[in-house]
Amino acid sequence: MVTGDDGYTEKELLRMIRQWVTRERVPKRVKIKDTSDFFRVDYDDVVVLGGIPYFVRNNEREGRFGIDDEQKFWVKRARQLLTGEVKILKWVFKERFQARIGNLVFECVRSPQKEARILELVRGRPEFMQGETVIDSAGNQLRILDYIRGKTLGQHTLEMGRDHEDFFFNFYPALLDEFIKIIEAIRFLHEHNEKHGDIRRDHIIKDMTTGRYRWIDFDFNYQHGESRFGYDLFGLGNVLLFITGRGDVTTYRLLQEAPEVLDRLTQDDVNIVFRNRVNNLRKVYPYVPEKLNRILMHFSLSAHLYYDETRELLEDLGEAREELDR
Amino acid sequence: MKTDSDISIRDKHLLVAVDHTDNSKRAVLYVADFLGGFPGFQVTLLSIVPEREDDFFDTQEDKVAWTREKTEEVRSLLENYRQILIQSGFPEDKVKIRSCVNEQKALSEAILQTQCGLSCCTVVVGRHHKSRSEEFLFGSTSSKIIHEATNCAVWVVE
Repeated sequence: MVTGDDGYTEKELLRMIRQWVTRERVPKRVKIKDTSDFFRVDYDDVVVLGGIPYFVRNNEREGRFGIDDEQKFWVKRARQLLTGEVKILKWVFKERFQARIGNLVFECVRSPQKEARILELVRGRPEFMQGETVIDSAGNQLRILDYIRGKTLGQHTLEMGRDHEDFFFNFYPALLDEFIKIIEAIRFLHEHNEKHGDIRRDHIIKDMTTGRYRWIDFDFNYQHGESRFGYDLFGLGNVLLFITGRGDVTTYRLLQEAPEVLDRLTQDDVNIVFRNRVNNLRKVYPYVPEKLNRILMHFSLSAHLYYDETRELLEDLGEAREELDR
Repeated sequence: MKTDSDISIRDKHLLVAVDHTDNSKRAVLYVADFLGGFPGFQVTLLSIVPEREDDFFDTQEDKVAWTREKTEEVRSLLENYRQILIQSGFPEDKVKIRSCVNEQKALSEAILQTQCGLSCCTVVVGRHHKSRSEEFLFGSTSSKIIHEATNCAVWVVE
């Protein structure tokens, strides 16, 4: 039997593939591809990393704002052919860029070493994506990440309840409990002087197998100023606002759906960065309790004090959560 | 008989924290204008090279080179500001300069640690005019100093 450089014959690979995919998905031929150029690795190829063969499926996509279009060519879903597990293969590279939020421009980096560092730090912690680094034949670093099957926190939030009131009284308290748990996970990072770097609701996935929310994508870093974790806290505030409002409550949406509520709003009621988002949800949904609303207002244009640490946010959320039970 | 150290003890010691911005320059000019020529004051000019994490560099050598370059810039800036104070009437031996590279600390914390270590009675900083959202996302050193300073006065120069 002729064995390729990577230790597997085509026949062996096809036999393994047949174990894990349906018959119509089994290709007629299969090629082992070198991983030095990820653009050349395609659907139905096999790559061998650390002696283990992976059957490559689709590129992953950027799933923000519901536009599931932007393909990430450097991130591919694959089936580990020895165990059948679905994995994410990520070609790592450093990228410097300027991020823009509103009028603010700041320096960011997509950093392989940061991701590797955090993967090591959070190993075994269920609130985080798990993974390992392998070096391919060309000496490049590749990440093999667990594929987390499930929906994002944003998707789950939008599916809960008939309307906001039903959502808020019947689903929100449990959702807030889960959100508090994953903020605790961010506190763990911060206590180890690490940032998440890109906190967004689509970077929190509810793992279908464990039922727990988990953080993904922590390879970003931003050049911080006086407040090291301010940008992470801003992200947490955005997610909190989204889940509390069961979606973004925008001034445009109010104009369409409840113009009388829009009339009651002032400039103080909107988000400090995204001026079209309403933070004073109590003016929109009067049953949102005061303590919870006060937290949201710390992220509004009227705020004079901002959260500096996750600990402070967690303390306030703990009190707000107790109030929900009364 | 009075010794030099007795005189030093009586001096009011100001810590002026600066960076390369015009706001910092205004703070230095304010101190020069306000106190230059009066006896009983000494100034330490402090500049801190802000932390830049390893992730922003390709290699450790790059980081070392960047830090060296910034440190040199900072020393040159401090020397310029020292001359401004001397020209305004501060005796040469009453204007010291100090620089350091900040590591994993907020700038305000590093400034206040220096203030504490040197027993300065006043911290002087320039006010950077940040937008609300910028201050919210990245913080404000002068605001933090105002809130965190103990046993000293804080001058925030507009």
